[in-house]
Amino acid sequence: MSPHPVGEGDLDVTAAEFVLGLLPQADHAAAERLLQEDRAFAQAVAGWRARFTELDDTAPVLPPGSGLWSRIARNPSLAAQAVGDRRAARPQPSALSIKPAWRGRSLRAMAMAAALLLAAALGYFAQDRASKPVLIAVLLAEGSAQPAAVVSAYRDGRIELAPLQPIEVPPDRALQVWTLWDRAVGPKSVGLLDQARSTRLTTEGIPATGPKQLFEITLEPRNGSPTGRPTGPILMKGLAETAL
Amino acid sequence: MLGVALRILRRRPLAEEAVHDAFVQIWERAASFDPQRGAARSWIYAIVRHRALNILRGEVRTDLTADFDDLALASPDESPETVVAMLSEAGALRRCLDRLEPDKRRLIVLAYIHGLSHGELAARLAIPLGTIKSWIRRTLISLRECLA
Repeated sequence: MSPHPVGEGDLDVTAAEFVLGLLPQADHAAAERLLQEDRAFAQAVAGWRARFTELDDTAPVLPPGSGLWSRIARNPSLAAQAVGDRRAARPQPSALSIKPAWRGRSLRAMAMAAALLLAAALGYFAQDRASKPVLIAVLLAEGSAQPAAVVSAYRDGRIELAPLQPIEVPPDRALQVWTLWDRAVGPKSVGLLDQARSTRLTTEGIPATGPKQLFEITLEPRNGSPTGRPTGPILMKGLAETAL
Repeated sequence: MLGVALRILRRRPLAEEAVHDAFVQIWERAASFDPQRGAARSWIYAIVRHRALNILRGEVRTDLTADFDDLALASPDESPETVVAMLSEAGALRRCLDRLEPDKRRLIVLAYIHGLSHGELAARLAIPLGTIKSWIRRTLISLRECLA
């Protein structure tokens, strides 16, 4: 960053100019490298980002087009991540038992990131409080870290399901959505779908959604589980977390 | 996310491109995100802005300036002053921006929300380029003192 004398104060102002996007091309590239290598510079950048982020909240809230969602869902690097996880797990099944904590943490980190992303992308950070979900559950496809659907519980009690990828449903089968808030009560059905689509879930006889409440989707006979309990394979599941 | 990107890129397909790329980056870096070190919100916005600014820089800028005046006319709500007015009065950023001289406030807000370069800021405010550069640096220093 030759044009700017490098001293304590100057480095901080350079960090601010970097955050504003004002550095000339060469300095910008140098700043990107410094961001990776220099802890003090990285902290200065994080500080300025935090100071200015309130301005981001004033941006108009725009729903993403459906094309954007399907592109994100189909993105090869997102899919590769999930495949990579499976590949790593398959040849050495013992790895799972050796490092369960690591695996759990990485899945949790991804699920959290996915939840934050969805919240951000859908504009939940806007000041419109009425449309802000209180809790979000990201349902991960069984056997992978791929987010497959998101359940949002709103302040007014409404619960909505939004699938993120298509699910193959055989003609005589249906997708049944379950929630579990108390092991003593057991899972309750909150929806039956012939295919993956966005829908409002039933809230009748269900208490207000709480943190760590489980949501899952199983494959059941077309008219729903005959026993009132999940009988088919679990396709995806996730726990509700407090939205930011 | 899309609103933030659109302010910088001004065209929806480009803004969606930025959000898409940001999504992928956030996903790839998810494991490295440490909630103890900072708010997730500013982390996510930073990735979106960063991607949008890089797209903006890679584009032919003259291509964008034609649209820009139209947009300025089409959305009078988006003047720097109205954006500042949308900030919480209780917040430190609002208090500190309000203390700045109007032109200096406009410089900072325009640079941040629309990703304007020094040259574009100079043209818009009809102020010499050298003055813009030193004003911005001095304004950042006084903002830092005020926000500390």
